[in-house]
Amino acid sequence: MAGSALRRLMAEYKQLTLNPPEGIIAGPINEENFFEWEALITGPEGTCFEGGVFPAKLIFPPDYPLSPPKMQFTCEMFHPNIYSDGRVCISILHAPGDDPMGYESSAERWSPVQSVEKILLSVVSMLAEPNDESGANVDAAKMWRENREEFNNIAEKIVRRTLGIPT
Amino acid sequence: MINMAFCWLILLGRAVQKLVFGELRVSEQQQLRDKFWNFVFYKFIFVFGIINVQYIDEVLLWCSWFALLGFLHLLSQLSKDRFEYLSFSPRTPFWSHVKLMALLAAIFALSGFMLLVSVFVGFFGGFNTFAFMSAEVVLLAIRTLHIIIRYALHLYDIRQESATAMNTSDEGKAWEKRGPISYYTELSFELTALIIDLIHHLHMLLWSNIFLSMASLVICMQLRYLFHEIQRKNYLWVRNHLEQNYPMATTEELQNNSDNCAICWEKMDSARKLPCTHLFHNTCLLSWLEQDTSCPTCRMALNIQTPSPTQMEPPELQADPQENTRRPFNHFFHFDGSRYVSWLPSFSVEVSHIQAIRQNHVTASNSQLDAMARQVQTLFPHIPLSVIIDDLRVTRSVELTIENVLDGRLVAPPIFRDLDINQQTSRPLTLLQSNAEPSTTRNWDEFSTDNVETEDTVMLGSRFSKSSSEREKILHRRKENMIQMARRRYIEKQKAAAAAAARSDLQS
Ligand SMILES: [Zn+2]
Ligand SMILES: [Zn+2]
Repeated sequence: MAGSALRRLMAEYKQLTLNPPEGIIAGPINEENFFEWEALITGPEGTCFEGGVFPAKLIFPPDYPLSPPKMQFTCEMFHPNIYSDGRVCISILHAPGDDPMGYESSAERWSPVQSVEKILLSVVSMLAEPNDESGANVDAAKMWRENREEFNNIAEKIVRRTLGIPT
Repeated sequence: MINMAFCWLILLGRAVQKLVFGELRVSEQQQLRDKFWNFVFYKFIFVFGIINVQYIDEVLLWCSWFALLGFLHLLSQLSKDRFEYLSFSPRTPFWSHVKLMALLAAIFALSGFMLLVSVFVGFFGGFNTFAFMSAEVVLLAIRTLHIIIRYALHLYDIRQESATAMNTSDEGKAWEKRGPISYYTELSFELTALIIDLIHHLHMLLWSNIFLSMASLVICMQLRYLFHEIQRKNYLWVRNHLEQNYPMATTEELQNNSDNCAICWEKMDSARKLPCTHLFHNTCLLSWLEQDTSCPTCRMALNIQTPSPTQMEPPELQADPQENTRRPFNHFFHFDGSRYVSWLPSFSVEVSHIQAIRQNHVTASNSQLDAMARQVQTLFPHIPLSVIIDDLRVTRSVELTIENVLDGRLVAPPIFRDLDINQQTSRPLTLLQSNAEPSTTRNWDEFSTDNVETEDTVMLGSRFSKSSSEREKILHRRKENMIQMARRRYIEKQKAAAAAAARSDLQS
C-alpha cells in the first residue's frame, strides 16, 4: 500500500542523501510526488562512459518495494542493455515472476531487499561491463562486440553531450 | 422530464467536481471516460440482453436507476484515484482530505438509501429484480467503504508519523498494529466484492437463458476473469502455511538481531523467522510471498505447494478494459525447487561484487580523498591538487602516491599553450571560462576553487533537512554541483591530453 511505500522511499532518500555512493545522486523530482525520482549517474572511470553524468528517471509502483521501479535514462544513450528510448534492461529491475528473456535465474531478480542504491550501483557496473545476453539495443551490442573503437567514439559523444560540451 | 433529471445529474456532477476535486488530472479524466463507456456498455447489454424489457416505461426506469448508480460509481472511482494520488505526496492540505472524506461518506449513505429502494421495488417486482438491483448497490457500498477505511488508515498513519517524528521508537509499534489491520481489510473487502460480483454475474447468466448470445459471451468472459481474481486472492492459504511451518522469532532472537525489517526498513518488535534464519515483519513477509515463494534476502525457496491448480495461463486482461489498470500478479505460486539450486553460487558472487564497490566508496569518499590530497600537497606544493587526487583515486593510499611522485611518475602538467591546442579542445574552454587566459597560474586558481566546491558538496551531502522545500533545494544544488564538477574534470583531462600531445609533437 502506498503508505508503507512512501515511508520506505523516504528512508531510502534519507540514506542516499546522508551517505551518497560516489558519483550517484538520487531523489524525488518534486516532493509532491514521491514516486518519481531523478538520478544522476557518473560514468565509471576507466570505461568509455568515463566522466559523463547521465540523468535517469525512476518510477516507483504503489506497492514498492514488493515490485521493482522502472528506470529510464532521460539523456541519449547507446549501450547494449539500454533500449533506444532509454529504458534500462537489467535483471535486478525484473519482477521475480516475469521473465521476458527466459534466461535469467530468479536470483538476480528484484526482491524487496534491493534498493535504489543497489539498482544504481548495478547500473554503474552495467555501464562498465555490458551484459551480452540481453539485447535491448541490438545495434549497440553488435558494435560493442565487433567495432569497439566506433562504440567508444559514440560513447564519447554522448558523454560530451551530457556535460553540455559541444562535440 | 427524464431529460431534465439527467441535466440535473450532470450539473450536480459538475458542482461536486468543482467543490471537491478542482481540476481533474489527465489520467483521472482518462480513467473516468473509460469507466463511463464501460458502464454504459455493460448496462446496455444488461437491459436489452438479459432483462429483455418490452415496455418503454420499464426501459426508462432501468435507465434512470443505472444513471444514478453509474454516477455514484464514477464518483467513488474518482475519489479512489484522487486518494491514491494524494497519498503519494507527503504534504497535502488538510481540507482536501476532509472534502474527499465527506464525499465518500455521502456516496456511502446514498448507496444505503438505494439499497432500501431496491428492497422496496423487490417487494413488488419479485426476487430477481431485487437481486439484480441490490447486487450492484451492495458492490458500490462495499467499494466505497473499502476506500473510506483505507483512507482512514492512511490518515491515521500520517498523523502517527508526524506525532512520532521526534522519537522513532514508537513508530515501529504503530506500524505493527496497522500492518495486520490494513492487510486484512484489504483482503476481506476485495474478496467480498469479488464474490458478490461473481454471484451477480452467474445470476445474470442463468436468468438470461440465452447461452449463445453476445450478452452471455461477454458475461462469461467477465466471469472467467472474476474467477481468476478470486483464485489469486487465496492469501489465506499462504498465511496458514506460514503459521504452521515458520515460528515467530523469540524476543531473544529479536534482541540479537539489530537490523530492521529488510522489506519495509523499519524496526521489528515482532517478526517471523524463516528456516534460513532471516527475520521479517509478519505482514511484510505475507505480501511478498503472494508474489514469490522465496526468502527476499537469500532467495532460499520455501516449500509452499499450490493448494489448487493455479498454473493456468494468466487471465486475458484485454477481455475487460474495466480492470486494465490492475497490475497483474505474475505466476502466483509458480515455483519449482530444482531451479533454485543451480544459481546459488552465482548469486553470492553478485552480492560480494556490489559490496566491494560500496566498500571502495566508503573508504575513499570525496572528503577523505581531499584530505589525503592536501597531505601530499604539503610535501610537493608544485603538483596541482587535481593531479594528486586523480592519482589517489587509483592508489587509494598517501604513501603510494608519494612514492609515485618521488619516482617521477606523477608530474605537474606542462605549461598550457594556447597555440598547440587543436580547435576541438579549445572550444569548450572558451565556453566555460570566457575571459580566462590559459596560463598556469590561472589553472591553479581554478583548482583551489574546485576544492571549495568539493567541500560544499560534502557539506550538502551530510544533511537531510526536515523541510521538504529545503530538501528539494539541496538536492538541486547537489545535482548542479555534480555536473559542474564533472564538466571541469572532463575539460582538465582534455587539456592534459592536448598538452601531452603537444609535448610529444615538440619532441619529435
Ligand atoms: Zn517490515
Ligand atoms: Zn533467507
